[in-house]
Amino acid sequence: MPLALGVLSLWALTVGASGFSVGEALGALMSGGDDRAALVMQQVRLPRVFAALCVGAALAVAGAIIQAMTGNPLADPGLLGVNAGAALALVSAIAFLGLDAMGALVWVAFAGAGVAAACVLSLGAAGRAGAGPVRLVLAGVVIASFAGALTGAILVLDAQTQDVVRLWTAGSLRGRSLGVIVSLMPYVLVPLALSLLVARQVTTLSLGAEVAQSIGQGQGLWRVLAALLVVALAGSAVAMAGPLGFVGLVVPHIARICVGAEYRRILPVAALTGAGLVLVADTLPRALWARDVPVGVTLALIGAPVFVWLARRRSGGRA
Amino acid sequence: MRLLALSLILALACMLALGMGDQAIPLAEITRVLTGDPDASPVSRTILLTLRLPRVALAAAVGASLAVAGVAAQAILRNPLAEPGLLGINAGAALAAMLVIVQVAALPESVLPAFTFAGALVMAGAIQALAWSSGTSSLRLILVGVGLGALAGAGASFIATFGPAAEVQRAMVWGAGSLQDARWVKLMWIVQWGAPGALGLWLMARELDLIALGDGVASDVGQRVHLIRGLAILAVAMLAGAAVAASGPIAFVGLAAPHIARQLGGTAHRGLIPMAALCGAILLVLADLAARRVLAPVQVPVGLATALLGAPFFGYLLWSRRNDI
Repeated sequence: MPLALGVLSLWALTVGASGFSVGEALGALMSGGDDRAALVMQQVRLPRVFAALCVGAALAVAGAIIQAMTGNPLADPGLLGVNAGAALALVSAIAFLGLDAMGALVWVAFAGAGVAAACVLSLGAAGRAGAGPVRLVLAGVVIASFAGALTGAILVLDAQTQDVVRLWTAGSLRGRSLGVIVSLMPYVLVPLALSLLVARQVTTLSLGAEVAQSIGQGQGLWRVLAALLVVALAGSAVAMAGPLGFVGLVVPHIARICVGAEYRRILPVAALTGAGLVLVADTLPRALWARDVPVGVTLALIGAPVFVWLARRRSGGRA
Repeated sequence: MRLLALSLILALACMLALGMGDQAIPLAEITRVLTGDPDASPVSRTILLTLRLPRVALAAAVGASLAVAGVAAQAILRNPLAEPGLLGINAGAALAAMLVIVQVAALPESVLPAFTFAGALVMAGAIQALAWSSGTSSLRLILVGVGLGALAGAGASFIATFGPAAEVQRAMVWGAGSLQDARWVKLMWIVQWGAPGALGLWLMARELDLIALGDGVASDVGQRVHLIRGLAILAVAMLAGAAVAASGPIAFVGLAAPHIARQLGGTAHRGLIPMAALCGAILLVLADLAARRVLAPVQVPVGLATALLGAPFFGYLLWSRRNDI
């Protein structure tokens, strides 16, 4: 699988406004010269591929953990409003505080994602029946539309900020410099590594409260830890690429179909698949129509039908 | 009696909306203009008749259409959280309008409501069909609606990236849900497409009462449940299509207005439908007033204002029914 990802990345490097062959692309990367090909590679294509891989892996793992945590097959950081919360926090920080250092913005995004996640989970899990899939999705819709409207209002009022974040709010990987991406990478990679370390506990979480208790895993601690990981992963992904939906929904299901219900296998497979999916979604429109479609749009076009299919399948019995 | 009170409130809200603006106009002047008094100043006559009156009238008409569509959707889905916006029906209409505005700019504007109606209808049909497995459950309808709504939204953005910039700009303003470009012809669309839908629903009021009790009960007393549900969906699509064509997708009015009306006047649809229509009209007139005055001279799209007001309301409904859903 890592091999397939490598091949995909190479392909993504060659596709774009000026086409290169694989050999040319590699040569330009290796040589480090300052001719045109090398510039395009280092300034445009490479950061974009890096960003796609990081964002995809982060969102897919965040989705897998949130699904395990809530026992809800329809959970996804985008659908549950976590991404929208991070985006709102980012936009307000840029508009009102004038922040523009990525290192600071990431923490702002974490805070926004955290608040949104707390709101959705408490609104969705209130009541005797606990967090049913519909309640959680509805709570997510509420938080997402509220945060989205606030973001929209800020952007309407502040043309300057609007200009800075226009592409980013639609969820796009375009125009990120290598410096920004590299400075953000630790914020993705550290929680990603941590998630893989706690995969065993995530599996236990996914089995439900009783099972977890009976094998002696403390509930509160691991739930909080899992929620923090989701927030960190979603927040840094949003800081990188804007609010992307559906990766976290679709990929864990693909992973589960491939390798079963053990999260020690699901998480790495989901990370690789998610990276591949975002990379393909970002590159395919460029390859097919030579147009730059925001990757969030492509992902929604792929992901929404999967969501409908899942909703049909999972809610079959309950009329 | 309550209808009369609501009408009075609506009239008051309209007067307020007519009077307030960058150029404030006193009540006496408004009455002079509206009654055609020759003493009225030409400036306030122009402001009122070409700018504010169409806008207020359109806000009231769109609000009423969305509210009635919401009442019907909540009745046939038997779900207090159902709303044309939430179910993706508005998104379907918006996608159709986006197609028309961006791709076939040569078409006259008057076909827009027909296309949004078609979009809303196709969307309603698709949701119904995809949520069907030996009968529809409101749970599946909502989930499928959320999914298809996201799909339609992405489709609209996808079209936007390929269209020519000028048309896309126009479509984007419209897509945020705005009453800024209010004209009398848009009011005509609502009269042509929305009013028959609302009237149809009102005539079916008794059937809606029955279907709200459950398919089993309704068919036991001899109702042709699927026919009624199909007709109601058709009417909802007409109302949503007309509203979306006139002002773009505006969320949450269709959710909030029926609830307020139910608090005021019980659950029988013959009374509920006109009450909800008045509540929706009041809500949108006031929301539009707020959207244009709170941060004046900047105008916030009214769709954003209703989302900011409506989302917490939705959250409250979700919270207050936390043990039922």
